[in-house]
Amino acid sequence: MEFDFSPVVDSWRYLLDGVGISLMLSVWTMLGSLALGAAVGLGRVYGSAWLRVPLVFYIDTMRSIPVLVVLVWIYFAMPLLTGLNLSPFWSAAVALSLHIAAYVAEIIRAGIQSVREGQTRAGLALGMSTAQVVRVIVLPQALVRMLPAFGSIVSVTIKDTAIASVIAVPELLRRSETLAGQSFRPIEVFTAAMLIYFLLLVPATRLIDLLYRRVAHLGRS
Amino acid sequence: MTMIAPKESGSTPSPVLIYEKVRKLYGEFVALDEVSLRVDAGEVVCLIGPSGSGKSTLLRCTNALEPISGGTIYFDGRALPSVDRDIRKVRQRMGMVFQNFELFPHKSALDNVAIGPMTVLGMPKTQARERARALLAKVNLADKVDSFPSNLSGGQQQRVAIARALAMEPEVMLFDEPTSALDPETIGEVLNVMKALAEEGMTMIVVTHEMAFARRVADRVAVFEHGTILEHGSPEQIFENPETARTRDFLSHLGWDG
Repeated sequence: MEFDFSPVVDSWRYLLDGVGISLMLSVWTMLGSLALGAAVGLGRVYGSAWLRVPLVFYIDTMRSIPVLVVLVWIYFAMPLLTGLNLSPFWSAAVALSLHIAAYVAEIIRAGIQSVREGQTRAGLALGMSTAQVVRVIVLPQALVRMLPAFGSIVSVTIKDTAIASVIAVPELLRRSETLAGQSFRPIEVFTAAMLIYFLLLVPATRLIDLLYRRVAHLGRS
Repeated sequence: MTMIAPKESGSTPSPVLIYEKVRKLYGEFVALDEVSLRVDAGEVVCLIGPSGSGKSTLLRCTNALEPISGGTIYFDGRALPSVDRDIRKVRQRMGMVFQNFELFPHKSALDNVAIGPMTVLGMPKTQARERARALLAKVNLADKVDSFPSNLSGGQQQRVAIARALAMEPEVMLFDEPTSALDPETIGEVLNVMKALAEEGMTMIVVTHEMAFARRVADRVAVFEHGTILEHGSPEQIFENPETARTRDFLSHLGWDG
């Protein structure tokens, strides 16, 4: 078998723009899922019992529906139901954010609840309010403990952007499919795509791991 | 004969804390059963007794970390408040030291001590750190100001915790088994700091299993069992002439031979 990587080399610009779109989508998804996940996670820990019911329902729902189904529903079904039309890119960003926010919420809840009760007592004993205890004592420690889990969220987010290809968001995988179809070189093109994802993610996960090892002691009470 | 009198002040002792028939229930379990006790200004009162006898519970009720189920606790002449904002005001006037230190791991020793005045009193950082530095020097940790809790020994951590509580300039210090989690060789350094504090006239309630400390430093000792005070009196009385067989029993189990 002969390999010909020239389509990849000739179209590197085209693929690189695809990487750019994948990363843009990742960034928006991370911002969206962090904001929503933080709200849901904090609401679940500190909110009233009434608030917790819909939040738990949301988390359970998002964890039991495949993200691909959420995506096609938002892109194909939602406009028909609500008249609300989102571009493929924003449909993907919203679907991924909704999905990943559920996991972020669980990470935040677990992180907060892992900080020992005695830490809260120590803050209260100094005369702090509950809000001060959360802000000054619990959250900083919880954030440190959440770092490894957030590392996985980052890599899952970047990887999951590939599903946006089904609604024709011109990100890396979509462009690889196009290029493979035009050049009749699927082996070379998809191998290149695989390698690009790998090269993007390995340093990212290593970096977060390294950072965590630096700061782990700050979260150990 | 040793006199049982409040230290120095000379005038009539003024009560800082009065416990009146304090009850605490956890579901069916009676943790405190009508405990009455009085702590005067400048007094050191040690609470001793077997585990689960209610000593630590009484301490936690004192600064309202646990709500009481019945009776009244008077602090400085007033019953403990029930409104959150007022409870916080009371807590600011009481320092607490925990068995497991509970230092904040994300802050240096200096900031562990400065965080109370900064967060609660709104003291500027430089001023709070200045106070923290002085307090750390006082507990013999001037060279550890920049260390993080994970780099300190148990005894050092507990001394930082004492400095942290003192930073709020409390009127009473509550010690909840402050040496129980320590290696034997570091217990002494913590007890010495506590002894110095007592000699300065600090009002202290100390839950402890350190009988030698109670014997030497306490003005009064209260013996707990099953949520009640079996007996209380001067250390001489409790350790040399206990009234009840249960107290004698408890002391002999700890290897105390009088």
